[in-house]
Amino acid sequence: MNLSELIRHEPSEATLRLWLDRIPYAVYLGIRAEVQEQDILFILPGDRKLIGNPTLPALHGGVVGAFMEQAAALHLIARMAEPVLPKVINFSLDYLRPARLRDTYARCSVIRQGRQIANVSIAAWQDDMEAPNAIARTHFLIPGVQ
Amino acid sequence: MPRLSHSDKVSIIEKMCRFIPHSHLQGIRLEHIEGETVTMRLPYRAELVGNPENGAIHSGALTVLLDHTLGTAGICCDQVSATITPTLDLRIDHLSVAPAGKDILATARVYKVTRRIIFVEGFAYCESPDKPVARATGTWVMMPELALEKLLLSVDAGAQQQ
Repeated sequence: MNLSELIRHEPSEATLRLWLDRIPYAVYLGIRAEVQEQDILFILPGDRKLIGNPTLPALHGGVVGAFMEQAAALHLIARMAEPVLPKVINFSLDYLRPARLRDTYARCSVIRQGRQIANVSIAAWQDDMEAPNAIARTHFLIPGVQ
Repeated sequence: MPRLSHSDKVSIIEKMCRFIPHSHLQGIRLEHIEGETVTMRLPYRAELVGNPENGAIHSGALTVLLDHTLGTAGICCDQVSATITPTLDLRIDHLSVAPAGKDILATARVYKVTRRIIFVEGFAYCESPDKPVARATGTWVMMPELALEKLLLSVDAGAQQQ
């Protein structure tokens, strides 16, 4: 089953794992997802290969962004009535504090989903959800359902 | 701030590529410097694929390359030179899908410097700079009290120990 077929399955922890397993870059980064109280918690496990600043050490800012983008896309798919693979239009990322070498979490919310465009906001944190390391928003184009 | 020669810029940027472990692992390397404009290359690898159906590199891997390249542009800017510059924000427009199997190049330059803030723009492309796959803008904070040279000396020391 390819990714387009897989996303038509009801999003559970098991299907999220199957989705992530089909995306080579998500596998490379080690992204995981857990379903908690009808929301999805995305996890980027701390890994030395993701370090950007070796003196702190801190994760590469681009990796934190990549993790948040991937989380937003999967979160949106999971929220769609008729899931299709969304295309990212743009991504805007604010870095608030360096992400240390440990697990990073992300939660997303679909701010608006129209017929063609979706706006998703993402927050990533490590110790305290109220003190995020980065926040981002992204627009997706939703291809017409064939 | 002293103006850096072309060879100094090359040397510092190559050291930066080695100093940043994740960029180094990605094989991100300096392609060329033209005046105050820097171009870096991200070699194509199967594990960077985001869409297994078309083999295109993940937009997140582009984010890593653009963050690295725009963040490096300050070194090539004669008003900034070598200071540590943490990223404040980064915005990327995805203009087209990067073709499968191709390296991605990213070009960046500083377009405005204030006392504290560096404004940078850049874009990513595969075959031709006339066909960008993504455009990016970002801001970096200037920390002139933190000299980059000191940090990079630790890379030299590390390399000698190996």
